[in-house]
Amino acid sequence: MSHSQKRSKSIHLHQLRKAFALKPLAVGVAGIMLTACGGSREQSNIYVSPEDCQQDNPEATGQCLAAYESALEEHNRTAPKFDTQNDCEYEFGNDRCQYVQTSSGSFFMPFMAGYMVSQLLQPRPYYSQPLYTSFSPYSPFRSRWVTSNGYVFDGDIRKRSYSAPSSVFEKKPTVNRTIKRGGFGSSVRAKSSWGSSSSKSKGWGG
Amino acid sequence: MFRMASQPRHNWQQLAAEYGFHFHTMYGEPYWDESAYYQFTLQQIEQDIEDPTAELHQMCLHVVDKVVNSEALLTQCQIPQAHWDFIASSWREKQPSLYSRLDLVYNGQSPAKLLENNADTPTSLYETGFWQWLWLENLVNAGKIARHADQFNSLQEKLVYRFEQLRRQYNYQRIHFSCCEDSVEDRGTVQYLQDCASAAGIDAPFLFVEEIGLSDTGYFTDLDDNAITHCFKLYPWEFMLREEFGDALEAADVGWLEPPWKSVLSNKALLPLLWQAFPNHPNLLPAFFEQDKHRTTGGKWIKKPLFSREGANISLLNDDDSPTTLSDGPYGEEGFILQQYHPLPRYGDQYVLIGSWLVDDLPAGISIREDRSLITQDLSRYLPHIIL
Repeated sequence: MSHSQKRSKSIHLHQLRKAFALKPLAVGVAGIMLTACGGSREQSNIYVSPEDCQQDNPEATGQCLAAYESALEEHNRTAPKFDTQNDCEYEFGNDRCQYVQTSSGSFFMPFMAGYMVSQLLQPRPYYSQPLYTSFSPYSPFRSRWVTSNGYVFDGDIRKRSYSAPSSVFEKKPTVNRTIKRGGFGSSVRAKSSWGSSSSKSKGWGG
Repeated sequence: MFRMASQPRHNWQQLAAEYGFHFHTMYGEPYWDESAYYQFTLQQIEQDIEDPTAELHQMCLHVVDKVVNSEALLTQCQIPQAHWDFIASSWREKQPSLYSRLDLVYNGQSPAKLLENNADTPTSLYETGFWQWLWLENLVNAGKIARHADQFNSLQEKLVYRFEQLRRQYNYQRIHFSCCEDSVEDRGTVQYLQDCASAAGIDAPFLFVEEIGLSDTGYFTDLDDNAITHCFKLYPWEFMLREEFGDALEAADVGWLEPPWKSVLSNKALLPLLWQAFPNHPNLLPAFFEQDKHRTTGGKWIKKPLFSREGANISLLNDDDSPTTLSDGPYGEEGFILQQYHPLPRYGDQYVLIGSWLVDDLPAGISIREDRSLITQDLSRYLPHIIL
């Protein structure tokens, strides 16, 4: 290959294979609830159970349990969700998914495989996030840790300590509640109502 | 520049499914077409496309600088007065941009001519940056195309690099990605950008434009009531400025991709303004505002609305000044511009348009679209290309 190559040198194909992307149900946004702490990366540890955490932090039994429970709560809110058991197991592996029924419908989601904790021993609020892994041969994050919004940690599942990206700790502007939605998008409806002759329902890229 | 017939890969549709390329066929018509490809020389690419693309982009930025500093020009570009400060300050603060696509008429010999600048919401990105790259990789590995063949397409590499820059230099740690509902193509384009951002270590959640909320504290919010601090929107500024949440834009303090100053470039007023600033530039076509029609000197002219998409609302003014409507559409209320008619080159019974991409200000590759009609519309087909 010449030095003046005009095209991308290599593309990691596995990154572009579609996993649980493009299924709107599954795009869970991880809610990250931490106060700011400079711009640096924060050392974080991954545990698979409260006991696992306690073994590492014998003096922090209560924090380990609380962190686990808050991760579990976050898991229930943000875990990738699938319409069918098949879709879920294709991504996460056989018997790695649970059936969930709620007032607004039913779906399948993977079990929480672990949780990531940082600042457990600090007086500041600690941060805890649910993590998943896959046993499926078809999955790009087989044997790796992945967050509910699809962030895949580099390294094998046996790696239990990472410096988490600083985005995790970025301070968010204060929002108490959303007062209105739908204030963008009206031009689409207006312009789309035109032009039934060519009957194209088109996006607004160009 | 040649058009070469080519054998489609037997498994390409299966590959498309695997990689999530869901819009290769649209409205029952083929869109991705690998039954042929275009072949360029390196000299054609570098001298006739890459260098002019970089130069045209700089010329466009020069026009932006003039427009945001002139109330007369902002008025002429039909930018709502309430947003002049919002747009001008985004330019003064040098808010970073991500990408754009210049549409060029080029036949392999004469200088490429700029038809339009899709600076705000360009699509056909995934097909270009990834899908045609994979096509060449597959054909080279199958021995169907010479191993030393290349492609003008560093788009994906440059996008990932640009996102890394945005993260490190501008602190874009999480970007919400957005497009409007009901378009598989737009959703696919945005998904690709999410993938590129993720590869650069950026957290890249998605929500539809219609789902964006406004908080009690004046920020835009996602569906979990998180504030949106940085947002990529595949949705035109000229719409956003005029919609209900338009008034909230200034206080919401979002780092937008593309930034608000791109509304000057995606506006067809750019074309006459470029011609005023750089008259007789070899890569420009003569262009005038409609009210300056008396300055057009004979010949055929294309009349386009200031704001339009997908080649809508275009008409041809003939030598005798009689108009022929080339395409209908819902646009035109903001006025029109005239651009000298310059037919697209024809290969067989196909007219060819070249999209030349930039990531920030770096030329990054081309996409080729073919159409049986002279105006490249939404149902034109995408063909890959090689350099040999």
